[in-house]
Amino acid sequence: MAKQIMMALAGNPNCGKTTLFNNLTGMRQHVGNWPGKTVERKDGKFTYMGKKINVIDLPGTYSLTAYSIEELIARDYIVEENPDVVINIVDATNLERNLYLTIQLIELGANIIVAINMNRFAEKKELKIDDKKLSNLLGVPVIKIEAVDRIGKTELIESVLKAAKSRSKGTKKITYGSEIEEHLAELEKILPESINTNKGFSTKWIALKLIEKDKEVIKKILGLKNGKEVLMKAERIQEHLSQIFGEDVDAAIADARYGFIAGLIKESMTRPKIDKITMSDYIDRIVTNRFLGIPVFLFALWLLFQLTFSISAPFMDWIGFFFGWLAEVVSNLIATEWLSSLLADGIIGGVGSVLVFVPVIFMLFLSIALLEDCGYLARAAFIMDRLMHKIGLHGKSFIPMLLGFGCNVPAIMATRTLESRKDRILTMLINPFMSCGARLPVYALFAAAFFSEHQGWVIFSLYLLGIMVAIIMGLIFKKTLFKGLSSPFVMELPPYRLPTLKGALIHMWERGSVFLKKAGTLIFLVVIVIWFLSSLPFGVEYASQNSVIGRIGTFIAPIFKPLGFGTWQASVALGFGFAAKEVIVGSFGTLYGVSEEGLGKALAQTFTPLSAYAFMVFVLLYVPCMAVIAVIKRETNSWKWPIFTVIYTTVIAWSMAFIVYQGGLLLGFT
Amino acid sequence: MMPLSMSGEGTEVTIHCVNCGFGLKRRLCDLGLYDGTRVKVVKNDVAGPIIIKVKDSKLVLGRGQAQKIMVEKA
Repeated sequence: MAKQIMMALAGNPNCGKTTLFNNLTGMRQHVGNWPGKTVERKDGKFTYMGKKINVIDLPGTYSLTAYSIEELIARDYIVEENPDVVINIVDATNLERNLYLTIQLIELGANIIVAINMNRFAEKKELKIDDKKLSNLLGVPVIKIEAVDRIGKTELIESVLKAAKSRSKGTKKITYGSEIEEHLAELEKILPESINTNKGFSTKWIALKLIEKDKEVIKKILGLKNGKEVLMKAERIQEHLSQIFGEDVDAAIADARYGFIAGLIKESMTRPKIDKITMSDYIDRIVTNRFLGIPVFLFALWLLFQLTFSISAPFMDWIGFFFGWLAEVVSNLIATEWLSSLLADGIIGGVGSVLVFVPVIFMLFLSIALLEDCGYLARAAFIMDRLMHKIGLHGKSFIPMLLGFGCNVPAIMATRTLESRKDRILTMLINPFMSCGARLPVYALFAAAFFSEHQGWVIFSLYLLGIMVAIIMGLIFKKTLFKGLSSPFVMELPPYRLPTLKGALIHMWERGSVFLKKAGTLIFLVVIVIWFLSSLPFGVEYASQNSVIGRIGTFIAPIFKPLGFGTWQASVALGFGFAAKEVIVGSFGTLYGVSEEGLGKALAQTFTPLSAYAFMVFVLLYVPCMAVIAVIKRETNSWKWPIFTVIYTTVIAWSMAFIVYQGGLLLGFT
Repeated sequence: MMPLSMSGEGTEVTIHCVNCGFGLKRRLCDLGLYDGTRVKVVKNDVAGPIIIKVKDSKLVLGRGQAQKIMVEKA
């Protein structure tokens, strides 16, 4: 068989699907989007005994209805692309619920292999699963694996190769009671022939979906020859059934599925008489405790930031040192003055000032990935729900907010996990107020220059201010733009697990690389533009008030006068900050014509402590960087929200800085 | 009969009916919550979301959702 094998991974969220994907494909994976959708699509491949196997990681789902985009994508992929094999990963510690998806995959007619994961945890809970018996009952291969290591891996791949050659049919024994079955058969008979493609998907599944009023299937049937006829029949059956079962045909179907599963479980699994209290239960007692929950949460956050900053600090120094050295070497090597200035001052200096933050951002994402993979973030969402509820969001929105402290771009992408569009947009709108890693250097510069004794507190107060503004804006939006009930909050709390470094590193890379890409493309371009604007017209002193940029700054400066920083340099630096906030530091360096060490002194001549604080407040709140605007545009698929974000954040930033500066003056600060 | 949100911590209850829209109902169903399911209330503070154990998994439900699920003492 020369053909490559296409294999898809399906399973519930938190069943170890992604771990298995990483284990199989290593780093040979590609992360993209499903066409036209904002759901992540992961592709990878590996070779086994000379056979090429392509793997696709389907979104984690509990079911295959058309309820959410993820489910629809998973389903459509299996139906339309017809992969050779679908591996259905099930969690041994939660077999009953996981098999609900398995049953639906079998009904769909997919060629599945069931991989039972987390057997070690099941053993600890004294759950014994007889995989052979389960395989007989389901009519598909069942293999025990451990996604975190190599246990069962070879056996799994071998059975994939075998299954790719001959499809297993799967059990036909799932029945929905004689009443429903009768009508299913009736519908099946009249289904247009064209629906039963060569792919071998079961007509029973289509009939079932029609009875479940599945919108997507109805749409497809409508497009076929005698589709209308079929639908009319289906509607009549629905009416008839709802007379029998009350309004809940769905519940009757779910009940039948769970009933079948209960039978499977009874035959293939033994469990202890009394459920063992697990480690997870003990931890949860403390972590979700009404009084202890919040202190534990704050401690976890404190640890997160401590670890991030202390570990990344030396790396940041090295990178800064390297670029300083590189700029010097380049400017000494190249004799042409303008070229050496473009390379050393412009490109190396500019890009270097951004790359310095790579360690801190990557470390933060690594720490968050570890917290997420061990299961704590779901608890944090539970704890934060009460607070988030007040601003019309629920606990799940908390995770994108936390990511915002690293970089708002992946944070906004993380809103994809929220089901309701309203929640997503509201979370995106207030996310930029979470002070990202790129704003930190601005604070660090000003705090060191003006508040040397209380640097830590000054910076902390800005983070806090950002959170407060986010909460207040959330409240205002809830009362105005997003009126109405908040969306339902239903979330699974996965058991605690030891995170794997590999998994966390891959996670970190996926999020962090977004920032790197931004540094490589957008910021690279912007620093070149800045250099030209600062060097033109010809013959002008670099970045002086007479250069193009100096003139623009001079023109805008009066707007910032009431905020205490009406200098042309400040205006220009803020303008560049739109490209990326970290650029502000570098721009000040260029504009004052001093190195970073001398920058503090130069700033002290034009800023007072009060105006410096007002400036930091402005930097915290004003327009998020270009990359954020671009990602809001992409995620909302319209220009309305990104433009709205630009305007409203700037208005808020100006007002807050005005209050700080003028209020401070009134109180007698300088 | 009472709403799940009123069930005390540690009690075991059986779901009698779920009074909510089609979408949420289906989602709850997928997670194993439907009429007749036995549920253990793991955490129920006076305000905020509640935690329940259903089959072998722990779920968080917003208070609003928990109010819509009517249960009986098991």
